[in-house]
Amino acid sequence: MVRDTVKAGLLKADGNKRFQSGDFVGAESLYSKAIISDDTNPALYTNRAMARLKLCLWDSAIADCQACLKLNGENMKAHYYLSQAYLELRAYDDAVAHAHRARQICAVTSDKSLAQVTTLVLRCKKDRWDDAEKKRKREHKELEEEVLETMRWQKAEALKMLESPEAADAPGGNNDGDRRQVAEEWDAKMEQLSRVFEAARTNEEKRREVPEWAIDDITFGFMVDPVMTVSGQSYERASILEHLRLQQTDPLTREPLRPSDLRPNLALRKACEDFLQQNGWAVDW
Amino acid sequence: MSLGTKRLGKELTKVLIRFPCEQIQKTLPPGITLVKADDLQEWLLDIQVLDQNPIYAGETYRLKFRFGKQYPIGITPEVVFTKQENRPIPMHPHIYSNGIICLDLLGSSGWSPVQNVESVCMSIQSMLTGNTKNHRPEGDADFVSTNKARPKDIEFYYHDNEV
Repeated sequence: MVRDTVKAGLLKADGNKRFQSGDFVGAESLYSKAIISDDTNPALYTNRAMARLKLCLWDSAIADCQACLKLNGENMKAHYYLSQAYLELRAYDDAVAHAHRARQICAVTSDKSLAQVTTLVLRCKKDRWDDAEKKRKREHKELEEEVLETMRWQKAEALKMLESPEAADAPGGNNDGDRRQVAEEWDAKMEQLSRVFEAARTNEEKRREVPEWAIDDITFGFMVDPVMTVSGQSYERASILEHLRLQQTDPLTREPLRPSDLRPNLALRKACEDFLQQNGWAVDW
Repeated sequence: MSLGTKRLGKELTKVLIRFPCEQIQKTLPPGITLVKADDLQEWLLDIQVLDQNPIYAGETYRLKFRFGKQYPIGITPEVVFTKQENRPIPMHPHIYSNGIICLDLLGSSGWSPVQNVESVCMSIQSMLTGNTKNHRPEGDADFVSTNKARPKDIEFYYHDNEV
């Protein structure tokens, strides 16, 4: 089939209008028609992916993003939408990876969506952590139940032993007293075990503090990509760039400062990443 | 959610939610009290001068903050003293009798996004603490009767740079 880029362009413009008016079904079908006229335009795929995200069609949104990335692997929007779709499908590692990729592209190309994409990175990490936490807590609970069940069984066995005729005939045996003693011992053990599990749980809920070094002084948000100014203070890349767009000064010293003066703070970035890995809640402190 | 709401929410969290109500004072510096922060557009705070400066001894003053959607980036929050019963406007060569404050920090070229409500209050508090002149800025009556501009848009001329 012959490519008709003009027709595709018109269909896309109509699709955008529908999208803006909130008619996502209409927009999606117009973008589909546009793709039939021209299947080599990456923007048509990302636009359709955006409409499909609105329609909660996660799998087909993913297919669009992948088609777009085949045409251009560096398409920021494709990575951005892909991450959102994966997040909905709870494919957290993929969601984090594509959000990161989108953010890197934004940083390199000075894309205005940097702040928004940075927020998505944090959201993905938070959701991934929440999910792992839930799983971990459930496993702990199951383990506790299982161990307790085993102990109850052992206790019953021990009591049964005392009931056997040999035990009853044992010389000088005060059978009732022995039974009570054994039962008490097992009850104490089980109680202790529950206490240990309970203590571990309360420990987790202990007061959570976000370290100051991980917080961006402009947005007060958790840092993902800290960059350092000439004065040595680090800020989130997106927020200091937003500030520099309006005012070319160092927020602390008020000395002139240009975006090209900023340097990534790799050690701090690593520290923030590591902290978040263990403390996903910090995203919403 | 705009940057302003997000960031103010976090400032509020720092002051309030992390601590029970009765302990608010422990997190704000002495002499500064949060009066009202019902929404994330306008906050009221009371400040007192803690040393024995005779001009301000025994008085409490009320500050009103108004924030923009993009706070703290770009535009300065509007910070003025407001007058009401038991809350006069402090006497100072850089404070007009209608509550408008001349402070470089609050002008569009002096503002920096690393400032916050607490740091602004502390600057104003120390501006009062160090003052020895018990009078208004030059031309106060004229300024108060004619000014219609918002504080941040006013190009202040500092009559008295020794304050």
